[in-house]
Amino acid sequence: MGLKVSRREFFKRSTAATAVVATSSAAAAGQHPVGWRGATRVETVATNCEMCFWRCGALAEIKDGKVLKLEGNPEHPLTKGRLCARGNSGTKLLYDPDRLKNPMMRTGVRGEGKFRRVSWNEALDFLASRLLDIKTKYGPESVALFPHGVAATFFTTLMRAYGSPNSAEPAFAQCRGPREVGYALTFGRPLGSPEPVDLEESKLIVLIGSHIGENVFTSQVTAFAEGLARGAKLIVVDPRFSVAASKADWWLPIRPGTDIALLLAWMNVLLGEGLYDKEYIGQYAEGLPQLEAHVREFTPEWAEAITELPAHKIRETARAMGAMKPAVALHPGRHTSWYGDDTQRARAMAILTALLGSWGRKGGIFLPTALNVGKPAIPPFPESKRGRADGAGTRFPFASEEQGVTNGLVDATVEEKPYPIKAWIVYGQNVLQSIPQRPKTHEAINKLDLMVVVDVLPMEQIYYADLVLPEATYLERYDFPQIVESAKRPYIALRQPAVSPLYESKPGWWIAKQMARRLGLEAYFPWAGPDEHLETLIRPLGIDPAVLRTCGAVAYEGRPYIKDRLPSDGQLFPTPSGKIELYSSMLKQAGFDPLPRYTSVEDPPPGYFRLIYGRAPVHSFARTQNNAWLDALMHENQVWLATAAARDYGLEDGERVILENQDGARSLPIRVRITAGIRKDCAYMVHGFGHRSRALELAYHRGAADTQLMTRVKVDPIMGGTGLRVNFVRIVKNG
Amino acid sequence: MARYAMVTDLRKCVGCQACTVACNSEWEVPTGYARTHVKFTGVAGTFPNLLSSFFVAQCNHCDHPACIDPCPTGATYQAENGIVMVDRNLCIGCGYCVEACPYDARYINPVIKKVDKCDFCSSRIERGLEPACVATCTAHAKFYGDLEEPKSDVYKMVYEQGARRLETAQVAIGPNVYYLGKPEEVDLAFAAFAPHPPRLPRAGELWTTVLRPLVLAAIGATFLGQAVAFFRQLVKGEGLFEDDGEQ
Repeated sequence: MGLKVSRREFFKRSTAATAVVATSSAAAAGQHPVGWRGATRVETVATNCEMCFWRCGALAEIKDGKVLKLEGNPEHPLTKGRLCARGNSGTKLLYDPDRLKNPMMRTGVRGEGKFRRVSWNEALDFLASRLLDIKTKYGPESVALFPHGVAATFFTTLMRAYGSPNSAEPAFAQCRGPREVGYALTFGRPLGSPEPVDLEESKLIVLIGSHIGENVFTSQVTAFAEGLARGAKLIVVDPRFSVAASKADWWLPIRPGTDIALLLAWMNVLLGEGLYDKEYIGQYAEGLPQLEAHVREFTPEWAEAITELPAHKIRETARAMGAMKPAVALHPGRHTSWYGDDTQRARAMAILTALLGSWGRKGGIFLPTALNVGKPAIPPFPESKRGRADGAGTRFPFASEEQGVTNGLVDATVEEKPYPIKAWIVYGQNVLQSIPQRPKTHEAINKLDLMVVVDVLPMEQIYYADLVLPEATYLERYDFPQIVESAKRPYIALRQPAVSPLYESKPGWWIAKQMARRLGLEAYFPWAGPDEHLETLIRPLGIDPAVLRTCGAVAYEGRPYIKDRLPSDGQLFPTPSGKIELYSSMLKQAGFDPLPRYTSVEDPPPGYFRLIYGRAPVHSFARTQNNAWLDALMHENQVWLATAAARDYGLEDGERVILENQDGARSLPIRVRITAGIRKDCAYMVHGFGHRSRALELAYHRGAADTQLMTRVKVDPIMGGTGLRVNFVRIVKNG
Repeated sequence: MARYAMVTDLRKCVGCQACTVACNSEWEVPTGYARTHVKFTGVAGTFPNLLSSFFVAQCNHCDHPACIDPCPTGATYQAENGIVMVDRNLCIGCGYCVEACPYDARYINPVIKKVDKCDFCSSRIERGLEPACVATCTAHAKFYGDLEEPKSDVYKMVYEQGARRLETAQVAIGPNVYYLGKPEEVDLAFAAFAPHPPRLPRAGELWTTVLRPLVLAAIGATFLGQAVAFFRQLVKGEGLFEDDGEQ
């Protein structure tokens, strides 16, 4: 870090303009800068983090092949030197003694956890022969991929090359899918990730179920806190008194599942009182008369009866939005698959954003700027005769065919419809902890001829795998670079190995490429290694790879607001009408409501609470519970219950109980947290705990898994989103 | 002469614990201990009129530190810039300073068997870096600087924006860690994490006049310190961050 200044100056020189042609002796030689850590001379490698998927810029400080510490990379264009608790804990993943160390082949029955150690050659030869076999017997579509993360790109390429379109990541149907589709239907383009919300420039931030602060993406927290410090007002709609709610000017503890009613009532006030951005709507939008007629009956009083929020508060908050438009940052949410009507909720949020004139305006939602990235020259992928098995593009007309519908693939495997699925390749996710309806997942796995897991840690799913392949951690590998267009300054960021892979672990790109070679699909991986792959990608950007290696990321000038746009940025609203579609022609054509409508949600039966869930700042999904530092900060989750509810059931704070859902599914024991900060019809827990893998020493049987209690889902017919907030739990004392 | 201070803006802090882990990592703090960490006040009030806040605990580098006099070896001292330092070469791990600190900002590191605490990352400051907690703070809620320097962030926050420090009628020793925030939230945090009077009353006097020379000579001092630390741990238990509790 002693040379931090020179790195900074170097970076400034190298990224001052779009064309980057700077060199320094270190960069030209492809060397990493050196610095000091106390009295120790260290090498610093710039890379990006994977403790979650925001991918903040990190600097690994290395001595004698060991990472001593991770620092934030101050020159990263988005995250500017900040790492969260998880990012700071990356070394504890790298040096986790429980890591998968060798390829392993199952010897016992599924679930038993008996394996024998095999060589990479044996493992890959076995895998290739099985995949060729399955292709001959059942066709290539009968192999499905469950990917997640950037390195997954190599595996999705492999699957497409092999001939299977069946790849589905939870990031779509269980997470961002509804919002991406809802906003794309309205504005013609999806939001992308990181979501382009102009929090720091906003005068009014509106969070609907988003719990920024507990959900930590460093730069988003930075922008959120900065916006508040600059005086932005804050509306938080959440049945729980979240950290964000504690900072809010208006906290609206809504009845879960009724957000569309609130959104319609807000529109009713904005339109009824003429508070919307008339000029903007007149210039850019169509469908206003239909919208006006549609929301006329949805008054705040109508919404009060549904949402249990006082009508005067609904009116007051609507007026605040009207007064502060267009600098209103209505956050689109991230995990948005809640009740099966989620695309319509996202549509309602998008329409509200349009009424406030916030899309493409300062303090609202900003626009992406395209980066011209290169592509390796590969043959076309084979056409699949049978099409996707998960319904993306057919049963779910607006589902992403790139990302797929995870639960659709599970269903297809269980039902063998539209055709049997015989093999699963799981990369970068934990199908047993992350996908709801766990019994169904088990049923699906039992039908498989082959299950392969590529992972860093021995999660519960390895117990069911025929073959386990140990992947190197993000600090030991090159990954597909991160190309971010949805930032005010678009950028490309590199993940490069800080140290060599430990044990026999291998990077994902190597595993995919080796499999391709064995399957005769080498033409789809026409690069010798990471260097050549990177060079192909960045050639059109005009970046010297050495600069990227030294700095970790290179940013370009963006055009985030409508006023900045150039003709070369293309159509502002690439919808069928070329305008913002308040009234959706595409939904109408497909037989769905062209305007969002509130449909009632089922209330918890007597004696039950609605199960809601969220995140803690010190853990990522079900990935980090075995990390020693993060475990020390939070080693189990708790079930939050309202003070009044806890009294009714005679519960004490800290007492261990079992949760049982409406179908009799039971959780592991979990402690009760009694709080005034939640509605009395809800039970809240942090997602990701309750691991069942004995091979995870710290995480094993700590807390309870929310997904175990999600035996029921409600599927969004528009895009296949898996609504997860439709389960109810009761408390079992001394269970 | 410089007078270094830290300010946490509680309006911005989201309690993400990035500072806690960055500090753990910077100083190789054993798992389960901390030189700094974020505490939650719990939720106060009646639904839906509620209040909660965070509080960032660390050494306060007090103007009149309670930890210096009880130190039998002189390991704990105050530098001219106000930073309270521990000289590990002199520390015998007796734990008297741990008991004396009204803010519970010190712990005995079980690996090196010496006392450890925040020193405002002095070694990073010397290299021109910010303290690890400030550098990583996701909310940009933590500030470090010189109270003698009118252009510094901390000067403005303390002398112009009314940042407050945590003192009580019983414990008024001039802490140099300040908090900015809505008054009711700062009050809530201060009430929840009020300092306790030093646990060794008049310890300073006793040590300096009578016992220090004896202890310096006594080989048993190390053993005593370990015993104190051991019993203290027994009493306090582990799980530093668990169940912050609700009010």
